[in-house]
Amino acid sequence: MTTTKTILRSDELSCPTCVDNIESNLNNTEGVSAAKVHFNTGRIEVEHDPETVSDENLVKIIAKSGYEARVSQF
Amino acid sequence: MKSLQMLLRNATTRKKALLIVSGLLITTGWVVNFFWISAWSFNTLMLLATLTAGFEIVRRAWQGLRNLHTNIELLVTIAATGGLAIGVYWEASAVTFLFLLGGWLEARTMSKTRDTLKELINMAPETAIVVKDGERREIPARQVKQGMQVLVKPGSKIPVDGIVESGTTSIDESAITGEPIPAEKQSGSEVYTGTINKNGRIYVRASKSGADTTLAKIIQRVEEAQEEKAPTQRFIERFASWYTPGIVGLSIASYLFTWNLEMALTLLVIGCPGALVISTPISVITGIGNAAKKGILIKGGQYLENAGKVTAITLDKTGTLTAGKPSITEIIHFSKATTFAGVDQEEEFEEVHTVSLSDQNRESLPSEGEKLLYWASVAESVSEHPLAEAILAEEQSNRIPEPDQFESHTGLGIEAILGNNHIYVGKAEFLQQQGISIREGINKKIQNLTNQGRSVVLVARNNELLGAIGIADQMRPDAPKMISKFRENSIERIAMLTGDALAAAEAIAEAAGITEVHAGILPEDKNDIILEMQEQGHQVAMIGDGINDAPALASADIGIAMGAAGTDVAIETADIALMSDDLMNIPEALRLSSKTLSNIRQNVVIALVTVTALLTGVFTDSVHMASGMLVHELSVMAVILNGMRLRWI
Repeated sequence: MTTTKTILRSDELSCPTCVDNIESNLNNTEGVSAAKVHFNTGRIEVEHDPETVSDENLVKIIAKSGYEARVSQF
Repeated sequence: MKSLQMLLRNATTRKKALLIVSGLLITTGWVVNFFWISAWSFNTLMLLATLTAGFEIVRRAWQGLRNLHTNIELLVTIAATGGLAIGVYWEASAVTFLFLLGGWLEARTMSKTRDTLKELINMAPETAIVVKDGERREIPARQVKQGMQVLVKPGSKIPVDGIVESGTTSIDESAITGEPIPAEKQSGSEVYTGTINKNGRIYVRASKSGADTTLAKIIQRVEEAQEEKAPTQRFIERFASWYTPGIVGLSIASYLFTWNLEMALTLLVIGCPGALVISTPISVITGIGNAAKKGILIKGGQYLENAGKVTAITLDKTGTLTAGKPSITEIIHFSKATTFAGVDQEEEFEEVHTVSLSDQNRESLPSEGEKLLYWASVAESVSEHPLAEAILAEEQSNRIPEPDQFESHTGLGIEAILGNNHIYVGKAEFLQQQGISIREGINKKIQNLTNQGRSVVLVARNNELLGAIGIADQMRPDAPKMISKFRENSIERIAMLTGDALAAAEAIAEAAGITEVHAGILPEDKNDIILEMQEQGHQVAMIGDGINDAPALASADIGIAMGAAGTDVAIETADIALMSDDLMNIPEALRLSSKTLSNIRQNVVIALVTVTALLTGVFTDSVHMASGMLVHELSVMAVILNGMRLRWI
């Protein structure tokens, strides 16, 4: 499995405790090896296998957690 | 129907839609109740409003439970369900509506604090035009591989770091360097992501893209700084981690004691430590963002807090208080003058003048001085001595001929021949060795300059002494203003730490207004002085630029590195890095830090007072579910708005 690191950004994180959901939902997804949500900057770092989970899938998983995010260059 | 589904799938629009519908239902409920006083329809409308706003909350609570997290949404869900069960419909609808509205408002304001970051990120274009075998293809910029050829059209931003392969243009690099004047680029020049191609079409061979670019590194540094938790934030988070379970326990206990279900549910409503957990990060993000916009890179919340408490400042001299680049300060020259010596008799004699160039009155330099400068420049034009640069920088005529012959006498001076002019530039001993007489009068003036910390070189042409040039590393013009600003801000102790000789150090210290000078010291001595100050109870800031300052920058409570003139090492070790050479940015950095520090304190007070007031209110029966949620959300907004003030100070 080859993993790549994708950076996503969300403008909607409003309370530091609500990032837990996003993090857990990502981490429970097959193909995601590590996910970290930075509340202060709204940056979401995901290490994943792009064959199993595409960038678009990541956006969908975050949307399901209740937040809008988009893939960022860095 | 399909478009409605799409609308609801998007998290932002769904939240907005739920908020509007639930808000309308609540308003209709009150209107209906006012005109027809129908409890039945009032309660039905409130129930619908609760269910609408609750939809999103229950969803998140459920997701949390599935991931084995108990979250705030769960508390609100229990409170609202309990409210519906005991029949306080209006309270339940207010709790869910206010919770959703608060979250939405908070997200909107919070995203404003992330603006600086967004501006930086938006500097990088999303796509790049890659050229291969004459074919153009537009691909995402981060997918450009090293070695690919990228076409950049005039007026567009550079998508990658790389080397110009063909074409010429001027590029606005202010995004990276802060330099507003565009830089000329041709084949072989380096270009950076996020800079703007002004007027030419260029082909760039990519060397770095995406997260490896210089711009990405700057962004990363700002982000790391914003993520870094300040000591207060860590303390608050520890507090918050037991606050919520504590409130839940209190709620259960109060129910068991009083059998008052509504009071127990109200406790659940105020159990979210919202204002507390956000009190510090909101100030830190805004403070660091505002500083970054001014070219001040503060590495994190902890440093922001430390910098806000500084009581003593130590500074390096060369490169910090001075430009770090020697320049001509004085020119000593001779001029012919006459004096009355009896009827119809005048005696000619020579006067010695010292002209100061430090106040930039270049025009007032008499022709004798110009001549001296000219011949010195001819000799120095091929020299690589550091002082040569200072002399050449001052000679403004562009046609300095190169000498026919040149010889450097190491440690003494130089000798050059141009046509039939034989020029010597160097120390007094050197000129004397060459058989040039150093006339009376000039010696005293030279001694004067040496005492002020100047390096002095003498200039002679064809065995005649023309005069002397005083050279010094000049003080930055804004140094005295910076020092007096420090004193205004009640910094108790200001000391200069330098490896330079005492005379030169004292000259600069006096001009800048510094009374404590430690000259001729080694890097480890700088360290010791800082440690001694810390033992006396001072919070010490060190301002420096060079590698020799790195240990002192590290041991000071706050290390501040000067940017453009500074080395990478200094910037890496420093807690605050200045991107420009503007000294006034240092007091500005300290001011922003102390403002941020007091902002954090205000926020913590707002949060704690709210929590205490709410708890007291609940137990004295003056706060109920709706008002509890309202006060809670208001306190969160108050903290956010107070933090946002840092954007404009």
